[in-house]
Amino acid sequence: MRNYILQRLLATVVTLFIILSIGFVVLRLMPGNIFEGYDELTPEMLAALESKYNFDKPIIVQYFLYLKNIILNWDWGLSIKLYPNMPVWDIVAQKIPVTLYVNVYSLCISLPLGMLAGIVMALKKNSGVDYLVSFLVVIFISVPSFIFATGLQYFCAYKWGWFPIIYDPSAAGMAKFISLVLPILALAFSPIARVARYLRGELAETIGSDFMLLARTKGLTEGQATLRHGIRNSLVPLMNIIIPMFTTIMGGSLVVERIFAIPGMGNLMISGINTSDHQVTLATLMFYSVISILTILIVDLSYGIVDPRIRMGGKQAV
Amino acid sequence: MEPILQVKNLTVTFNAFAGKVQAVRDVSFDLNRHETLAIVGESGSGKSVTTKAILGILPKNGRIESGEILYQGEDMAKYKEEDFYKIRGKKISLVFQDPLSALNPIMKIGKQITEALILSKSIERSKAKQRAIELMDAVGIPQPEIRFDQYPFQFSGGMRQRIVIAIALASNPELLICDEPTTALDVTIQAKILDLINDIKKTRDLSIIFITHDMGVVANMADRICVMYAGKIVEVGTADEIFYEPAHPYTWALLSSMPDLDTKEKLFAIPGAPPNMLAPPKGDAFASRNKYALAIDFEEEPPFFKLSDTHYAATWLLHPDAPKVEMPEILAHRIKRMKEKEAESND
Repeated sequence: MRNYILQRLLATVVTLFIILSIGFVVLRLMPGNIFEGYDELTPEMLAALESKYNFDKPIIVQYFLYLKNIILNWDWGLSIKLYPNMPVWDIVAQKIPVTLYVNVYSLCISLPLGMLAGIVMALKKNSGVDYLVSFLVVIFISVPSFIFATGLQYFCAYKWGWFPIIYDPSAAGMAKFISLVLPILALAFSPIARVARYLRGELAETIGSDFMLLARTKGLTEGQATLRHGIRNSLVPLMNIIIPMFTTIMGGSLVVERIFAIPGMGNLMISGINTSDHQVTLATLMFYSVISILTILIVDLSYGIVDPRIRMGGKQAV
Repeated sequence: MEPILQVKNLTVTFNAFAGKVQAVRDVSFDLNRHETLAIVGESGSGKSVTTKAILGILPKNGRIESGEILYQGEDMAKYKEEDFYKIRGKKISLVFQDPLSALNPIMKIGKQITEALILSKSIERSKAKQRAIELMDAVGIPQPEIRFDQYPFQFSGGMRQRIVIAIALASNPELLICDEPTTALDVTIQAKILDLINDIKKTRDLSIIFITHDMGVVANMADRICVMYAGKIVEVGTADEIFYEPAHPYTWALLSSMPDLDTKEKLFAIPGAPPNMLAPPKGDAFASRNKYALAIDFEEEPPFFKLSDTHYAATWLLHPDAPKVEMPEILAHRIKRMKEKEAESND
């Protein structure tokens, strides 16, 4: 197991390196120049600026300088336009918490709620409840999160005034949570629906299986059999969709953060791209990559916890 | 002998899109204490459904339309789900057809055996493991202490069926229903599992309902046999009566299509297919596949005709007015041979 984790971590580093390299090259290939539109700059000033940020050197040299600074000094370069001359790492470190706050909360509420809805649908399969929830599920899956965000903002915040319209960065504790409830909800709808739909299918199949019948014939009640034998067996395939789900939340958060003026990573990435502030864009890209890869790693490792066949596959006894 | 379980005029239907499937039609039988009753029939004849109805585990679209299932003086056909909790596993247990899918793949074997005992508080948690190991030992699992902590995927098919039997025996039931327990196993393992079932029947004073489509298995197990066709019992009798003096053409056909070592002729196959149970045919359901069918077979359902105190068959051929018909030659030969062998072994 330890070897496996080490292998996976090594692979993670290699993957991140590849993403960083491709990202660096692609961003430089994008049309436009960061100093475009500043007509008051004299050629001398421009040359001085370019030499300060190494833009006068060949791209391959720039790349190695960038890499060297990150590896040796954990220096992700300077922001040029968004926060002039501020170290990118400082900006990012300041923005990560609120983004994680929103995304992790959405994931944390969507898993239990989705599972609950899925279990109810599976147990009441082909009943009115099932049809109603299934109908909602289709809507929640097909409508993108920013539509929900706008809707929630309009009704819950603007019309009814239950929540602040935009995020209040000075809030802390409960007030912070309350000002983030709407974006968290907007992001959670689609994952809730996905989990519910998936679990319904899996659980309905598991409930029909022989071992559930055996659990009942050996004297368990229907509830005990579902709880002890049905649900855990349906969790293994559910793990599969948690990965794309978390990345969906992250992707949705790019826009939703904008709508609620949350100063998070999503907002930062879009601003970075719009202003050609490549160092910032690259750092946010790396953040999203690390999160995605870590999610995959955690999910892969947790398979083994849920399913002994995967955990013990390597040392098959008898 | 007093019957431990009586099924009277049981009718079970399933709601399907196309209509009502009449899976079990007016089935009656008694199970005597300490006997093995085999229910024999081809796929779809309603034998599994009958036992599922007894245990209250019919699928959601299945329903007992009428009839009684008398056990301990109560009619289980009227039981609600909660009433079955004191019966299932504790009084009546089921051994499944396919041991590969009957065990929860991600729960340790030991836990699966003790789970029901602990949940029903019939044994203390600390003693449960000891109990499970004894059971595993009793069903012939070597090294039960080690096996206790293993998962189903670490067991072979035969071993898993032993575990399923151990689970069925965990609460000391008095009635065991075996639903084709050897169908999914290969032949050498089959024989061992059958021996095991016969063993535990003796040591634990069990009464057994044994469901199978395999006449060869029946011969080794059954005291009495019910032959089912299209949701009805067509012939019932002791094992000797069914094997040596079969009276229903369907029983003849089943026995003729059973392979054995001495038959030189081409094996008999029953022509046609079982009837559609959405609309069971009028009269005798087997009539259209039966070359001995009389005109009345297509008109009116035959009643049971008594052949002896224990032997009944539902066929118009036994009516006093019916033409005299002999069983097929292939079967008559075989019975003659069997009787000769029996006589030799008795000498």
